[in-house]
Amino acid sequence: MSRLHRFLRSPEAIAGTAILALLFAMALTAPLLFPGDPQAIAGPALLPPFQDWSLPLGTDRLGRDVLAELFHGARTSLAVGLSAAGAALLIGAVVGTLAGFAGGLIDEVLMRITDAFQTVPGFLLALAFVSIVGPSLGVVVAAIALGAWTGPARVARAEVLSIRERDYVAGARVIGMHPLEIAFREVLPNALPPVLALSSVIVAAAILTEAALSFLGLGDPNRVTWGAMIAEGRAVLRTTPFLSIIPGIALVLTVLGVYLAGEGVVETTAVRRSLS
Amino acid sequence: MTALLSIRDLTVSYRGDGREVPALRGVSLEIEAGERLAIIGESGSGKSTLALAIAGLLARGARIGGAIEWAMPNLQMPHSFAPPSVLPDISPTRGEISSSVAGTSFSTSMIGESGNEKAISPLVGEMSGRTEGGAVERRPLHLGSAVPRLGRDIGFVFQDPSSSLDPVMPVGKQIAEVALTHLGLSWPQAYAHAKTLLERVRLPDPDASMRAYPHQLSGGQKQRVAIAAAIAAGPKLLIADEATSALDTIVQAEIVSLIRRLVAEDGMTLLFISHDIALAAELAERIAVFRYGELLELGTTAQIVNAPRHAYTRALLDAHLGLDAGPLRQAGAPA
Amino acid sequence: MSLLAVSGLTKRYRRGGGTVAAVDGVAFAIEPGETLALAGPSGSGKSTIARLVLRLTEPDAGTIQFEGADFRSLGGSALRARRARLQMVFQDPLAAFNPRATVARVLDDPLRIHGIASRTERPRRIAALLERVGLGADLAPRAIHEISGGQRQRVAIARAIATKPSLIVLDEAVSALDVSVRGRILDLLLDLQATERIAYLFISHDLGVVRAVAHRLVILDAGRVAESGDARAVIGNPQSAIGRALVAAAPRLNRTTAP
Ligand SMILES: Nc1ncnc2c1ncn2[C@@H]1O[C@H](COP(=O)(O)OP(=O)(O)OP(=O)(O)O)[C@@H](O)[C@H]1O
Ligand SMILES: [Mg+2]
Repeated sequence: MSRLHRFLRSPEAIAGTAILALLFAMALTAPLLFPGDPQAIAGPALLPPFQDWSLPLGTDRLGRDVLAELFHGARTSLAVGLSAAGAALLIGAVVGTLAGFAGGLIDEVLMRITDAFQTVPGFLLALAFVSIVGPSLGVVVAAIALGAWTGPARVARAEVLSIRERDYVAGARVIGMHPLEIAFREVLPNALPPVLALSSVIVAAAILTEAALSFLGLGDPNRVTWGAMIAEGRAVLRTTPFLSIIPGIALVLTVLGVYLAGEGVVETTAVRRSLS
Repeated sequence: MTALLSIRDLTVSYRGDGREVPALRGVSLEIEAGERLAIIGESGSGKSTLALAIAGLLARGARIGGAIEWAMPNLQMPHSFAPPSVLPDISPTRGEISSSVAGTSFSTSMIGESGNEKAISPLVGEMSGRTEGGAVERRPLHLGSAVPRLGRDIGFVFQDPSSSLDPVMPVGKQIAEVALTHLGLSWPQAYAHAKTLLERVRLPDPDASMRAYPHQLSGGQKQRVAIAAAIAAGPKLLIADEATSALDTIVQAEIVSLIRRLVAEDGMTLLFISHDIALAAELAERIAVFRYGELLELGTTAQIVNAPRHAYTRALLDAHLGLDAGPLRQAGAPA
Repeated sequence: MSLLAVSGLTKRYRRGGGTVAAVDGVAFAIEPGETLALAGPSGSGKSTIARLVLRLTEPDAGTIQFEGADFRSLGGSALRARRARLQMVFQDPLAAFNPRATVARVLDDPLRIHGIASRTERPRRIAALLERVGLGADLAPRAIHEISGGQRQRVAIARAIATKPSLIVLDEAVSALDVSVRGRILDLLLDLQATERIAYLFISHDLGVVRAVAHRLVILDAGRVAESGDARAVIGNPQSAIGRALVAAAPRLNRTTAP
């Protein structure tokens, strides 16, 4: 309760939450407000915004409704961003916990694998993965997660290394608890806070990576994405810049919203910790 | 004997998650110049809060009522009424102030020195009737009296020496800095002073110890360094808050005898805070017993140990397991 | 036969360039239902011995016989199963529990792991355990950090006796407690020993406490046994230098009136 109060007292947190709420509203209402295929032709091509109130943001080169595309694009961005970040955090937490808790050879092997993944830029990894396996929503999510799990893995391992030495872990061993149960039920939940603090950065990066992949034509072709919209608009950038600018603004606002809300959460939990 | 400081109706409460937790309830007590006074009590009795309040170290969120009056010669007059951290939080306390040991011999030298009429009048009123003390307790600490400075006038030794020592600075330099700040010495003088202090606290090989970092020293050695730093500026009052509780019995005994010797040599007043009544009895001339933020009784060590007035004091004495205590079990072979 | 017999127990740690023997060829034995105290100055190896005996740390050398079997040769599930008989209570009861745990969960774990009671039966067993250590069953849903230090140490004892052990290692288990609470916890430990015949390895640097509860005493110095014998006899007439220093350092009240 008081945590919520503190959270709502920070203006950044409020702004971030408002943006995210809007985004979620867009994503959830997209099929209701814009039933049917957003990629279907809705009117004359290249209609500028605010001309025709049935098509408030105008149309693109093929006469598709930009507002409908924006709403449906929000679905893709959120779905991909959240699931890729979730997958990255999950893989990272599990790998980091195993490495830190087991130590020895297992730690050595897992951390060398982490190093290997970390030396390749995440975007290149995603690019290569999608080019090989082929673009679909699941593959894009996997590709992004593949490049993003190393950070959480390192943070989780460092935290687990310090928790491993605590008395309560010794206590769990004394009562005969299985090492895997100790690692995942006793240690991991307590190692999570610093790992989760990374989530806003990872979600924001995942949304951007997804947009970049779509921009390069490596997104799921059956889904509207903001990256693909920007790529679409690029061909007519000089004459009708709004086609790139509108999804661009949506992208920037989303990343900003995720970041601000994430900071707000970290800040309020930090305050709470320093109080107790 | 003259009072070094007198504490009047001191009330402190902490705010924690919306609730107000009282830590001291209307404590009045005088500390005589040159005495060794022990404050004993169990966890939550408010003994550390008292030490912090005297040193002006209370946390920002603490609410404080009552007064602490000093009678130290050569104190600076206050620029503000109280340490800045204390002032904004002053507010009327609730009706939970209990009766206290009302000492009436208010230090006259104090009032003369302070020269602040406003500060005196409410106190006079307070002594005649405690129940309407609401207006009095608004008064900030140290109001109207000169303010002692931590480090120069008060030396403070904490339970955990690691928390008061800088981990990345050689200990000699840390002690020298205290001397530099408060004694106006040159750097070489301060450094030489620091070395003398390390000799006085009996650190082995003072020359090498000057260059040692805290992590290179044992717990007992760190506590000796912390004591050297606390007395570096020649304070009038040395406060030791559970200064030996983290140490083993042998080192504890060494530190206690070190404190006793230093206090005698420098004519310091000692406030020794402990949960261990036997340890307090070995070191102190007078003992004050605290429980739940109240001062239960105050007397000479012999009086507290041999003729305790309060049942709680008796219980504390009985709970002590000395080497001469009766057995908890019937001696003999295992059951 | 002794309940626990260790001999030649040795553990070295790397420090700086060389190695230090934290525990150096230590031998002692504990009989069923007996309290053996380990005393000694800080760093003398008391906690290390506790960890070695409990197989939380592997010794470099030495044998550990527990309940007639070679405890060092056990591993994996055999070791985990045998742990039911050898329990521990730590000094800081707050650090000894998962910060997210509730009292019920802390007591449920050993019952579940060792298959002592079925899921439906466990709440009753937990209530009984709480009652055995002098706590109310209403404490079960509370979070570990919501109860007092004394209550927490009682919960720790309840957890230790949940699996019906024959030996409990107590590493400074009463050192952090207020004296009034300490007295009642010691009473509880003595009562458990009398009724369940549990043996204790009682680690403390406080000879006053040792004298009050221990049958026999081993005094350690720098990882070695300095002297050992009947607790009262050793404290009354210590032979080793470290024993004399420990006795001399114990605070005394010198009361003139009898308590
Ligand atoms: N994990 C470790 N790594 C390196 N050295 C260690 C480790 N654990 C203990 N030691 C060293 O072993 C020695 C014995 O330590 P131990 O904790 O057993 O002493 P203790 O008797 O329990 O002391 P205390 O009374 O302070 O608890 C010390 O010198 C300590 O520094
Ligand atoms: Mg220890």
